[in-house]
Amino acid sequence: MKAVRSSLRSILLAVLFVIASAAHGQAEKRIGVIMTGDIPYYRAMHESMISELNKRFAGVEKIEIILQRPFPNPISWSNSARKLIAFDVDLIVTYGEAATQAVIREKSRIPLVYAGLYEPDYAALKGQHVTGCGFKVPLSSIIRYFKSIKALTSLGIVVSSIEDDSVRQYEAIKLLAEQQNVRTEKIDISAHADVEKLKTKKADAIFITGSALAHLWLDEILVILKNANIPAADIFPDSPETGLLMNLFQPSQAQGQMAAEMAWRIIRGEKPANISAHTLRDTELVFNLVQAKQLGITFPIHLLMEATRVVK
Amino acid sequence: MSHVPPSALGLARQLIAGLLICLFTTTAMPVAAAEQADALLIGIEPEHNIFDQMERYRFLADYLSDQLGVKINLTTMSRYGEVIKRFKALSLDGAFLTSYTATMAIKELHLAPVANPVNLNGESTSRGYMFVRKDSGIRNIQDMRGKSIVFVDPATMEGYLFPLAYLQRHGLLDIAHFFNRFDFSGSHESTIFAVLDGRADIGAAKNTAFDKLVQNDPSIQKELEIIAQSPKVPEITLCLRQEIDPGLRGKLATLLLHMDQTPAGREVLSKFKALRFVKANKADFVRIEEMAREARAVVADH
Repeated sequence: MKAVRSSLRSILLAVLFVIASAAHGQAEKRIGVIMTGDIPYYRAMHESMISELNKRFAGVEKIEIILQRPFPNPISWSNSARKLIAFDVDLIVTYGEAATQAVIREKSRIPLVYAGLYEPDYAALKGQHVTGCGFKVPLSSIIRYFKSIKALTSLGIVVSSIEDDSVRQYEAIKLLAEQQNVRTEKIDISAHADVEKLKTKKADAIFITGSALAHLWLDEILVILKNANIPAADIFPDSPETGLLMNLFQPSQAQGQMAAEMAWRIIRGEKPANISAHTLRDTELVFNLVQAKQLGITFPIHLLMEATRVVK
Repeated sequence: MSHVPPSALGLARQLIAGLLICLFTTTAMPVAAAEQADALLIGIEPEHNIFDQMERYRFLADYLSDQLGVKINLTTMSRYGEVIKRFKALSLDGAFLTSYTATMAIKELHLAPVANPVNLNGESTSRGYMFVRKDSGIRNIQDMRGKSIVFVDPATMEGYLFPLAYLQRHGLLDIAHFFNRFDFSGSHESTIFAVLDGRADIGAAKNTAFDKLVQNDPSIQKELEIIAQSPKVPEITLCLRQEIDPGLRGKLATLLLHMDQTPAGREVLSKFKALRFVKANKADFVRIEEMAREARAVVADH
């Protein structure tokens, strides 16, 4: 009888162990997310990623998202990265290059999926645990369209020198403009006080690089440009209705979905090193006729035909 | 019930019969004999900048009207493929047609090819280009899988038939599944801009439109890579209905072919942005028919 009781106890313990193991297997996974800045571009990307994750994990695994929206500066990015590492999340997702580099600098073994990086091939992202997706927009088209609607001898470029991808865009468009005899002027926005610099600028047009800082204060920037009668173009699809003359952008939803797919594969056991990074190149072009009218600019009809969307 | 006298009924019958005879004879006239027209309606296939195009053609039409004593009226067809429908309705006497629509019009409507303008680079022909952005990483057909492609219009040789024939020659029969997306931009220039902007990965358009854009903005050449090109075909051909009086057709052809020999003609040619006109040759369209056969599975839909 004792032997039977002992066997039953062993079986019971084994069953309890299996149940406990199974329960642990279904325990929620935690994904830490860091936005380089709390701006509409990254928010749209994040919504798209969450929506895709919910579809993929529905009924399979519970996912907890820990979202970090630091103010765009190196200390805040670094603090956010350290917090998520301290939480021991299963995966980190970053939007934008600054947040991505901040996580990489911490040399954690937590897998990292990035999205919203401009030309990730040139971002020098190192690490066995890193993969993700970025985008590329042909900046030459911005110059081409500006030249189609007005004489362009000078181009102001809004850049944030603390964001590497913003700086890369600045350097690329500067080179392109100078090749076409267009003088360029760097307008570095590293602090809120820098926005005031725009009031003294006399450029024929302004290009706003994909900087989180610049987009945090985009409304203020656009008011200044509007008062100075200077048209502006952007590669983020933030505010076509509020003062940009044109946007040429890669839709953020696609990157959010791709980041979710990569996150899903990693959570299911794939190694980031085995998942190829990807650069999305499909773009949309928006012309704002309301803004054009205010600026006294007429878009030729054949040019309007190129737009994916025209704001009237 | 009112009573109608027999004499009135007879008169009515005669009137109806007379009207019917008039109707039949007037509708049959255009196909029954050569027409002595006092005006010709000539169609133009739309280009990217339609206002600039109409202005150029208006200089030519005014000159021809003055010289011929026959008013030349112009009409723009809403899109490339409309030419066959317009001719079938007999509302056009002729048209300046791009290579594939000219081929269709010669074959299906028996139009006579009359003359080709020679552009400012000395060419009366064009060829199709397939191109990508240099930074796209696309170098061959395999690289195109899952990408997006933009054509011009189903009725263009350079912007549709050629790329289709090229893809089919490389074993690609199902473009709908091979590409992530395919679109028609409506003009050669729009196709080029779509690839430049990244709105499409691969484009197909004619070399003359490509070269013109590069001439205006040399940076375009640095950004795009031509990965395939078609043989040369007549770019624009003036085609006329056979029913037009042969005397008038001959006079029109002679006038066009000798325009560059008079100061007034040269001035109009300069505004039309051409050096001269050369005689069109029906045999030049054989290559386009061959290309259409290669792409027959898709062409049959149009």
